[in-house]
Amino acid sequence: MRQAGMYSGILSGGGISGRTGPHLLPLARIKKIMKKSSVDVKMISGEAPLVFSKACELFIEELTKRSWNMTIHGKRRTLHKEDVASAVATTDVFDFLIDLVHPNGNDVNEDDHVPEN
Amino acid sequence: MGDEQDKLLPVANVGRIMKRILPPTAKISKEAKETIQECASEFISFVTGEASDKCQKENRKTVNGDDITWALGSLGFDDYSQAIVRYLHKYREFERERGLAAAASSSAALLASNVINSPLEFRPLNEKGQTSYTKPS
Repeated sequence: MRQAGMYSGILSGGGISGRTGPHLLPLARIKKIMKKSSVDVKMISGEAPLVFSKACELFIEELTKRSWNMTIHGKRRTLHKEDVASAVATTDVFDFLIDLVHPNGNDVNEDDHVPEN
Repeated sequence: MGDEQDKLLPVANVGRIMKRILPPTAKISKEAKETIQECASEFISFVTGEASDKCQKENRKTVNGDDITWALGSLGFDDYSQAIVRYLHKYREFERERGLAAAASSSAALLASNVINSPLEFRPLNEKGQTSYTKPS
């Protein structure tokens, strides 16, 4: 599999590509998701979706890397949903995702929503 | 279906970011991709909510980029801040160069048309790249 970003310098350049423009994620969609998050969100300035386009990229990268560590730990080469669930369970900043990846509350103490550290 | 997809980032884009960070031989299940796609939306909602609360407390109607950056720090994602600052600088530079290129190409076209229609006259361009030259009928 050709490693994406090798020729456009994306890997070292932090995501600036002359081909698709500087963002990897569509700003209009980000704005829609922001608006749906709460009725209190009425107006969003131009730079807010831009900040998110980078923040989401970093978030996806971090969650993916941590999930992959679980895959490797299980001696597999395919990243599965349960690897994502394990990564969420073992990372404090990802506590807000617990209900999303563990809808049945498996393997997680349901009464323990406070980070231990 | 269209309404549901509106709440999520495109799975192709999410998948691309994931592939980029993994070894070339790594495989990703469709379910894992979709799970991370959902997590990303939850992340946006979570951070936006925090930023929005701050704006409300401060009686401001508009959530701006600084509010998002603040919320990221408040929720434990402050290690993203440096990369975001660099990214914003690069983006502004990209936009500036794109604007300059567009202005340059439009004034070049204007210049070319001046030369063809009036080779002996020189009409200086004003700061907008426009000329007061009017074509003879």
